[in-house]
Amino acid sequence: MAEGILPLPQVDAARPVHRLIKLIPGILLLAAIGYLGKFIEQSISARAKADHLHIPNIEYVLWAILIGLAVSNTVGIPAVFQPGVATYEFWLKAGIVLLGSRFLLGDVVKLGGLSLTLVLLELAVAFFLMTLLGRWFKLKPKLTSLLAVGSAVCGVSAIIATKGAIDADDEDSSYAIAAILAIGAISLFTFPLIGHWLHLSDRAFGLWAGLAVDNTAEATAAGALYSDAAAKIAVLAKTTRNAMIGFVVLGYAIYWASRGQARAVGNKAAFLWQKFPKFVLGFLLLSVLATAAVFNQEQLGSLANLSRWAFLLTFAGVGLRTNIRELKAQGLRPFAVGAIAETSIALVTLAMVLIAAKAFNL
Amino acid sequence: MPQASHEHHKPKGIQLTTDWWAVSTALALALLVRIGFIRKIPW
Repeated sequence: MAEGILPLPQVDAARPVHRLIKLIPGILLLAAIGYLGKFIEQSISARAKADHLHIPNIEYVLWAILIGLAVSNTVGIPAVFQPGVATYEFWLKAGIVLLGSRFLLGDVVKLGGLSLTLVLLELAVAFFLMTLLGRWFKLKPKLTSLLAVGSAVCGVSAIIATKGAIDADDEDSSYAIAAILAIGAISLFTFPLIGHWLHLSDRAFGLWAGLAVDNTAEATAAGALYSDAAAKIAVLAKTTRNAMIGFVVLGYAIYWASRGQARAVGNKAAFLWQKFPKFVLGFLLLSVLATAAVFNQEQLGSLANLSRWAFLLTFAGVGLRTNIRELKAQGLRPFAVGAIAETSIALVTLAMVLIAAKAFNL
Repeated sequence: MPQASHEHHKPKGIQLTTDWWAVSTALALALLVRIGFIRKIPW
């Protein structure tokens, strides 16, 4: 999943206010870029309506990402903004938790169950393909493991979790992160185009984006580029995938420890809990509260809009943190392996989703 | 190889805390909406 790491929790106990103040410029930059994207979408749409023009609506998501990309790849992000920009992951997770209020628990169980089945299939395909390709392209075994985890589960944070667990090199994890980020950026733009071309329903597209786009921010953005409803389903499917992170990392940790190339895992339950993405619990809790009718309709609307505002900041961060020159500098081979595997995973998951859409009338 | 500049991606055991920050903030906002302190958020 998406997955920068925030400076926010590292608040110095002695000077927490000072540390929090440092976040403000970057958060304002995220808000300004996100709001500019929303403003552009609304302006174009209003103009088209006034002039009776039929212009395809370009969502604010795309504008926010493009503006972010333009800023980070031209002027760059000045140091004063960087701590705040890194909070995009915090907004992503907060947005997902708030989105939990839009799901009745029954839907979570039903769609989550379907997602889980598809996720397990996707994991098997991803591991098989990545391992095979890693051997063909003669990548280092630990780099292959990192790429496999990144493409199978949830992008960068899965790679980081696995890196620690299998004692992989910094260089390998940098390669894997760069490859997964580059592929995530490409998926973000291509998936909605393919979805429209195939006339996928919102649910089917959301499921596909959640299963096949690697980072949570990119998966959410790809869904939001399609429709609000697709974004909701993409988040649910991706969250299910994220929930598997502990099991996958544990599997790799045990494998590398058995080969004497990583520390043995002591308490496996504690390991699983440590790796489990806790925001999933918040998402479920809000879904439980919404199911128990704790909120009225107006309050549910407000929570959904709060979630949208949080995602707005996230999407600006997705553009800002993607530096094309740095991604290029990471080399072609891991990227090629990642791209071939990801394309195959995207095709296999698309087939699975099309079958599920027919079977379950999605 | 050029050193990746994804400094913020380096593992420092912060992710879990980030999750708790996000969960606490979202729940606090939900509580404020529930008690009516935050009314009607527009989009």
